[in-house]
Amino acid sequence: MDLLQILVNGLSVGAVYGLFALGYTLVFSVLGVINFAHGAVFTLGAYFTYLLIGGAVGANGLLAGFQLPVALPFWGALPLAGLGAALVALLVERVAFRPLRRRRADPLLALITSLGAGVILVNLIQLLVGAESYAIPTGALGALPASFPLLGARVRTVQALLLGIAVLLLALLTLWLEGSRNGKGLQAVAEDAETAQLLGIDSTVMVRLAFGLSGFLAGVAGGLVGLSVSIAGPYFGIGYGLKGLAVLVLGGLGSVPGAVLGGLIVGLAEAFVPADWSGYKDAVSYGFLFLVLLLRPRGLLGRPLPTKV
Amino acid sequence: MDAALLEQMLLGALLALSVFLPLRCGQLSLATPGFYAVGGYVAALLSTDVPAFAGSGATSPLAALLAEMVLGGSLAGLIALAIGGPVLRLRGIYLAIATIALVEILRVLNLNLPFTGGAMGIFGIPQPFEHAGGYVLFTLGLLAVACWLCQRLEAVRLGRAMAAIRDDELAAASVGIDTPRTKLIAFVASAVLAGVTGALAAHFFNSWNARAGSFDASITTLAFVVFGGSRFWPGPVLGGLVLTALPELLRPVGDLRLILFGAVILLGPLFFPQGLVTAERLRGLAALLGRVRQAPQAP
Amino acid sequence: MSASPGGITPAPAPLMQVEAISCRFGGLLALDQVSLELAEGEIFGLIGPNGAGKTTLFNVISGLTTPSGGRCLWRGVPTTGLGACGLNRLGIARTFQNLRLFESLSVRENVLVGLHHAARAPLLGALLGNGVFRRHQGRLEARAMELLALLELEALADQRAADLPYGDRRRLEIARALATAPKLLLLDEPAAGMNPAEKEDLRQLIGRIRDHFALTVLIIEHHVPLMIRLCDRLAVLNFGRRIALGSPAEVRRDPRVIEAYLGGQASVAGEGQ
Repeated sequence: MDLLQILVNGLSVGAVYGLFALGYTLVFSVLGVINFAHGAVFTLGAYFTYLLIGGAVGANGLLAGFQLPVALPFWGALPLAGLGAALVALLVERVAFRPLRRRRADPLLALITSLGAGVILVNLIQLLVGAESYAIPTGALGALPASFPLLGARVRTVQALLLGIAVLLLALLTLWLEGSRNGKGLQAVAEDAETAQLLGIDSTVMVRLAFGLSGFLAGVAGGLVGLSVSIAGPYFGIGYGLKGLAVLVLGGLGSVPGAVLGGLIVGLAEAFVPADWSGYKDAVSYGFLFLVLLLRPRGLLGRPLPTKV
Repeated sequence: MDAALLEQMLLGALLALSVFLPLRCGQLSLATPGFYAVGGYVAALLSTDVPAFAGSGATSPLAALLAEMVLGGSLAGLIALAIGGPVLRLRGIYLAIATIALVEILRVLNLNLPFTGGAMGIFGIPQPFEHAGGYVLFTLGLLAVACWLCQRLEAVRLGRAMAAIRDDELAAASVGIDTPRTKLIAFVASAVLAGVTGALAAHFFNSWNARAGSFDASITTLAFVVFGGSRFWPGPVLGGLVLTALPELLRPVGDLRLILFGAVILLGPLFFPQGLVTAERLRGLAALLGRVRQAPQAP
Repeated sequence: MSASPGGITPAPAPLMQVEAISCRFGGLLALDQVSLELAEGEIFGLIGPNGAGKTTLFNVISGLTTPSGGRCLWRGVPTTGLGACGLNRLGIARTFQNLRLFESLSVRENVLVGLHHAARAPLLGALLGNGVFRRHQGRLEARAMELLALLELEALADQRAADLPYGDRRRLEIARALATAPKLLLLDEPAAGMNPAEKEDLRQLIGRIRDHFALTVLIIEHHVPLMIRLCDRLAVLNFGRRIALGSPAEVRRDPRVIEAYLGGQASVAGEGQ
């Protein structure tokens, strides 16, 4: 495998990690907690995409044999799956985060409640559609070829799409955060929720916005990964979720460009692991994370927090 | 209730105490399952590969189990000692994520090292006890010792220093508490307890693989503590016992089992934000006992 | 500015020397080449407008902030790199402007934590709770109660620190600092939020503990009349610079001080009530 191939592989996987970490970072920046249900929302996005393009449920689970009456093209299915995932993320916020916020409870508890929500979602998927893996047929991309030549290497279309869509979403998100009223409101809440409240910014709305957006990003990432490597079962989001966590801290908690940069670094580093050592590939991101935390505890692009005496 | 389930519950309580120790010092460490896995591998490897520990192959002497627990706990403690210095400089969620990373690194190592049996792990670990009941009695003793140490911690200098760091690390340093050292002691103690528990668990489960120390286990053990209450040692013990038993007790509901388990984890903190065991409830219990025995002494 | 002329010259071996300390946070120069000397046994006051750098100087002296320039000397030995714990063990204890008690612990336990240095008991005995440990523990408890009595907190010993009223919390923080057996006590706005009668009590208390424990006291306080009556010497900080140093009488007449306090408020120029 030549260098370009490795680069493309690494960048496309890194793009998924980046999308994942972006979702974490949006929620973290407004609430200061990690949403452990994020991986389950990602998983749901993949299943939604599968169903929306007209895929049928297998023989196991309560929905055995179920098929939607419509079969959308992948382009239509992906954003709809993102929306569906966003709705689920809002539901997670409603049941696992808002009650704690209202009671001003220890934020640590949100780690547990969101994990509970994740456990429910994952097992609900298993109950409904079974534990088997589902593949999104490559034909879903319509007229696009499965791969195309680039500078002498063959690049899978899916990988190019992953990278392209991730970059596009990052650009849109940055534009929105910097340019729109709600985007600025979100940043204000992230900076200082109480002051933002005094300025008339409804932090509850901003929190919902953060969850909705993070759910959308996770859903889209799930659909793309489902297309790229198939849906390996209800638990397949957890591994990505953990990598996303490493990427999140690597880039700096709450930093949007940091999340993407961290994702690309980890993706590339994993792609360069020699085949003989592929068993250790999963440790690369955590090894990196460990090093960065020890050398630069706030992450690559994170801002230091002053300690107040 | 069968003895095997009871044994798992007791192991859960021990792991919960391992998560509790750093938390009592204000440090959210999720490294417990990593150290648990390390302790288990030490016992599994020694008792299947080293004749002195292996006994007849099917059964092994109790002394070998004790030695493995000491060695497993020591190795876990040494790892904690080696990484604790830099890792414990991290605070809050950064520390939590770094310890998750540690668990994952150990898991990947356990999967890939040439002597740990790959994904299948290690089989046929000999039994020091003939029945699960033997394990239960032994583990009960271990849990009792761990609880007693935690109770004594409330009364001694180290325990007060830990509580002070939990409340305000900066103020604690300002009254002359060596905060890095105190945090390191709590972290190492947590690792040793997890390692010892792992060595015992490897025998009980008869086989050991990398799944023993996973991210899921990190969060489940944290749930034990949050569910039971993170302030006093009876909280984690109760949380560990109850939450380990729950999935088994829910078996009759079939496929809904894990969904209900998730619901309990989700709703528990909402209804009991302080956990089941709180200062007020402990005082209430002490008052009740005092009325019965005329011996008022709240922990 | 050189050392104060005549009158109250510092003792030959200063307890603490602050040498040209500078502290920069981002673009802000919080302390600019500040120097002080504290003589053994004196009560030294630090005054100045808000944001003058007084608390930053406290944080440097007590090891919570690393200065960007300069150094501190404890009995002639540099304290660089010792950290809060190390400096406390040298004999420097402090209170905090925003009160940092161990909220979930009882009043007695707060003081017992302060007695940490003295609490070293044989580990095995401590775990077993044997006679040696119990006698040791008894001595500690007695010491804690002595300190609480001195600060009139003994009746509250079993209350949670979080449940105390404000004034008691201030005194508990002093008791906790005293428990560490300091030579130098740093008090950051101990009279904040107190009424005149309470301030007078506090003034007497500070004098009393200075004599009782042979302490040197460095104190930040906004209420200038109180400081003029309490302190042996005063230094005035403004925008991170030391603009005056001397006896209360000298400082009160210093034109730069009067200017810093907006053209000489009555509280500086006038006699304390």
